[in-house]
Amino acid sequence: MTPETPTCLAEAINGALHHLMAGDESVVLIGQDIGRLGGVFRVTRGLQKRFGDSRVRDALLAESSIVGQAIGMALCGLKPICEIQFEGFIYPAMNQIVTQAARITTRWNEDQPLHLVIRIPVGGGIRAVEHHSESNEAYFAHTPGLHVAFPSCPTDAATMLEYSCNLGTPVVFFEPKRLYWNRKRQLRDESEPRSALGARTVRRGSDITVVAYGAVLEEVLAAGNQLAGTVDIEVVDLRWIAPMDTDTVLASVRRTGRLLVVHEAVGFGGVGAELVAIVAERGSHDLKSPMRRLAPPRRVYPPAEDENTYLIGVPDIVGAIKEMCG
Amino acid sequence: MLHHMLVARGIDDEAALLQNQGAVDLWLSCRGQEAAQVASAMAVGEAAVIFPSYREHAVAVVRGVDAVSLVAQWAGRTYCGWNPRRHRLFPYTLVVAAQTLHAVGYAIGMRIKNAAETVVVYIGDGATSEGDMSEAMNLAAVESAQVLFICQNNGWAISKPSREQSLTSIAARANGFGIRSWSVPADDPVATYLHCLEARHHVETTGSPGLIELQTTRIGGHSSSDSHASYRDPEELAAAAAGDPVTRYRQRLLRARIVDADWLDRVDAEVAIARRRLVAEFGR
Repeated sequence: MTPETPTCLAEAINGALHHLMAGDESVVLIGQDIGRLGGVFRVTRGLQKRFGDSRVRDALLAESSIVGQAIGMALCGLKPICEIQFEGFIYPAMNQIVTQAARITTRWNEDQPLHLVIRIPVGGGIRAVEHHSESNEAYFAHTPGLHVAFPSCPTDAATMLEYSCNLGTPVVFFEPKRLYWNRKRQLRDESEPRSALGARTVRRGSDITVVAYGAVLEEVLAAGNQLAGTVDIEVVDLRWIAPMDTDTVLASVRRTGRLLVVHEAVGFGGVGAELVAIVAERGSHDLKSPMRRLAPPRRVYPPAEDENTYLIGVPDIVGAIKEMCG
Repeated sequence: MLHHMLVARGIDDEAALLQNQGAVDLWLSCRGQEAAQVASAMAVGEAAVIFPSYREHAVAVVRGVDAVSLVAQWAGRTYCGWNPRRHRLFPYTLVVAAQTLHAVGYAIGMRIKNAAETVVVYIGDGATSEGDMSEAMNLAAVESAQVLFICQNNGWAISKPSREQSLTSIAARANGFGIRSWSVPADDPVATYLHCLEARHHVETTGSPGLIELQTTRIGGHSSSDSHASYRDPEELAAAAAGDPVTRYRQRLLRARIVDADWLDRVDAEVAIARRRLVAEFGR
């Protein structure tokens, strides 16, 4: 079932889920339409057939009950992995995530791990209807007690998911939708993150550090290729939004002297703001030019006809880099 | 049962005094609900994991939580003063009804592990307005989860009376979800115990959920910060105090010679020790 080299995000996650469930019978999946249908994105295809409907559970259409019951299962020693159908439907479960899952270990005086992963397809660029294209990671990053994962490639998606399942702390695991079945990827330099929770330098360069995560990383790498020969860009894939590996970013900025952060979520109060603030506090003496963020404005995600204008594209990234390095 | 009711009352009285002196930050009295709590907790037995709300102090006493551990979270020391596993009493949940889904998930999880057992969750009448409560009842019904919902209806969600919270009783709503339910007066611990035993028996023998609504009385305010005299009639408050289940049960057992003055003295001495420990720990 698991291909040797996963070719897209959905297959990699499917392979990781097979591997996790085969190796640990306490792993259970809960989500809407994940069993018979294999999930709306077919990420869980084949799992119910192999592991049965007791461990691959088609949930009711009630997100709070998906996460709430998963918390109860985790308290009885299982390792539930939930699937929420789209990021826009996570809000009915916010109370369970923020006031319960994130706090249970503290409430239990650090005496109760909580094995809980909440998988959420995220992001736009797929011509979807309202509530199916957004990026809401900042809400979760702001909540103490949660880990927030945001892989950008199949290999990371699989290893980060396996890590999350055994972490003992709730993980909100974002899966960029437009990478699910995308098999054409930009080439990346091979480098290992310094830890399981670390960022990864996916392109080595000396003129500017560009930090991104998720699907937009592909656009950043494409921009890097376009600029090759003129500007030598270093690209850091954050991978985890919380905790955030700012050390890797600071080390990179120390070499390049410039920082651009690119993300698909609204810029205001976002992940880029946090990262820029940290570099301002700890690394401003290394800077040759003002830092910048590239992210959509604080505006409701537009209907599909306008999403390409709204989203950050390769020309935006190329333009910003040229301005910063000019 | 009288023993636990008297201990719970003693802790409640002392915690309220300590709060009044500023030594405890907030206290949510269970005064008037001791019969409902002690009887139901004893009826479900020692083995069942309990997911409480936040006012189940007498349930905690039944489960062997000592006074200091019980009051610690209300004095800002911790978010749970006892060991939840040892007492099989999980931490209080202050976001009401959130724990109902945890209880249902726990029961489903135990069944997945082939170790099905009865799980108990306490909620108040106010919590039944929350969406999670409806989701939990529906999920429990459709999954046939071995969960006993114990709803203490004390007539008030802080200042909102039950009659303004819903047109139907919570027991009737549970029926609507396909859950067997009971609604019983719960000022008499003996009758309450027997009703809860029946509900537990249903859950255990059918492996499906049950809900018992215990009609009880909140003698105090919602919390130590609540001046309930501003929204409750003096007559209602007087009747609540006069119907105090602890006093009545004490008198009843004394009159029936089931307990005697010596026994009561011994319990009083035990309560006095618990109260002194509270003062020593939190008094300033």
